[in-house]
Amino acid sequence: MTPQDHPQIVDSLAAEYVLGTLRGPARRRFEKWRATTPQVQERCRFWEDNLMQLAKAVRPIRPPPHVWQGIRARLNLAGSEPRRRPARALAIAASVLLVAGLSVVLYWRSLGPGKLVEVATITTATGSQVWEVDVYSGRLIVHAGQLPARPTDRDYELWALPAGGKPVSLGVLPTTGTAQRTLTAVQQQALASAAQVAVTVEPLGGSPTGQPTSTPVFLAPLRASS
Amino acid sequence: MSPAAQSADLDQQLQLLLDRCAAADATALQRLYELASPFLFACLTRILRRRALAEEALQDVFVSIWQRAGQFHSSRGRPMAWMMSIARYRAIDLLRHERSAPVLVPDLPERAESADDSKEDAAPWMPAGGLLERCLALLTDHQRNCLELAFVGGNSHEAIARLTGNPLGTVKSWIRRGLQSLRQCLES
Repeated sequence: MTPQDHPQIVDSLAAEYVLGTLRGPARRRFEKWRATTPQVQERCRFWEDNLMQLAKAVRPIRPPPHVWQGIRARLNLAGSEPRRRPARALAIAASVLLVAGLSVVLYWRSLGPGKLVEVATITTATGSQVWEVDVYSGRLIVHAGQLPARPTDRDYELWALPAGGKPVSLGVLPTTGTAQRTLTAVQQQALASAAQVAVTVEPLGGSPTGQPTSTPVFLAPLRASS
Repeated sequence: MSPAAQSADLDQQLQLLLDRCAAADATALQRLYELASPFLFACLTRILRRRALAEEALQDVFVSIWQRAGQFHSSRGRPMAWMMSIARYRAIDLLRHERSAPVLVPDLPERAESADDSKEDAAPWMPAGGLLERCLALLTDHQRNCLELAFVGGNSHEAIARLTGNPLGTVKSWIRRGLQSLRQCLES
């Protein structure tokens, strides 16, 4: 196939390649084609330049110093440390996580006007995944991974902790598979204004009082990016 | 300086640094790293979701940038888009091998800015009101959401179907039609 004969096909493939949805053998075939075909390269650049805007809500994260040291070492470069801005408010978060013994990274994705997906990947201190929490169009989707041992007569419960307000339950967390539920207006509001999320161990079916009855086994700061 | 002028200025700065990298100037690579690594690292972390893997990928990316700097010319696109593409393609490549592994992040990555000054987080190379932004506004919410989940999160068609609770065929067609509309709008 020559690109001149099939401009639409070239463009569609280039778009899905740049977007990242062209996967597997098709992606590798396309890469070979791109390497040798200027028209294909041109279409890729068109999409690369334009789709970049989709990432505009991504908040920069400063990589740790050893990454730059590794690059220098791999390239045999002499040089100094990159300038660093002081890290603020992180010591507190780090100590909370140490106490909790579990850690989390929260991904906030702005999904256009009025849409926000929060993805929390909850892992143990040793790195095994416990839950992945997604919020999409007012629905909470939780995928259970490898859970730490717990008494069989207890459940894990997820809470949104709005700044200055009482914890709002987001429901019992699944121990296997995927659970989905529609968030109530109260839950959505709590998540939107939450400063932290927490996981507690509760009686089966969740806290009978509607409030946490134990100390969180997991606690992390949480903040929206938009 | 207007956002557009700021963005053009940064493009020019990045181009100069890439030219100097091509001439084996290590100071230029360091400056480039200072400027671009927080954004590229954030993109890698989004896609790979594992800090150690994202750190490794970031090293690969800057090694590539150093080695390939001479191939880049601004007539062939925007420097940040070029670097971001190197990063995203590397991450997607790594996903191929790592997809079966669970998603984990051992600890909180250090943020470039504190939570209090999120305004400063806006990437200066992406001025508001750009052409893509206007074209994106023409898409349906579903189309736009799927494109973001794919581009920013590195999600496959299947993963987007799972995340959004929609059938795979529907997701594929939203993406296809979204991209078609974007092309028409961008090239009109």
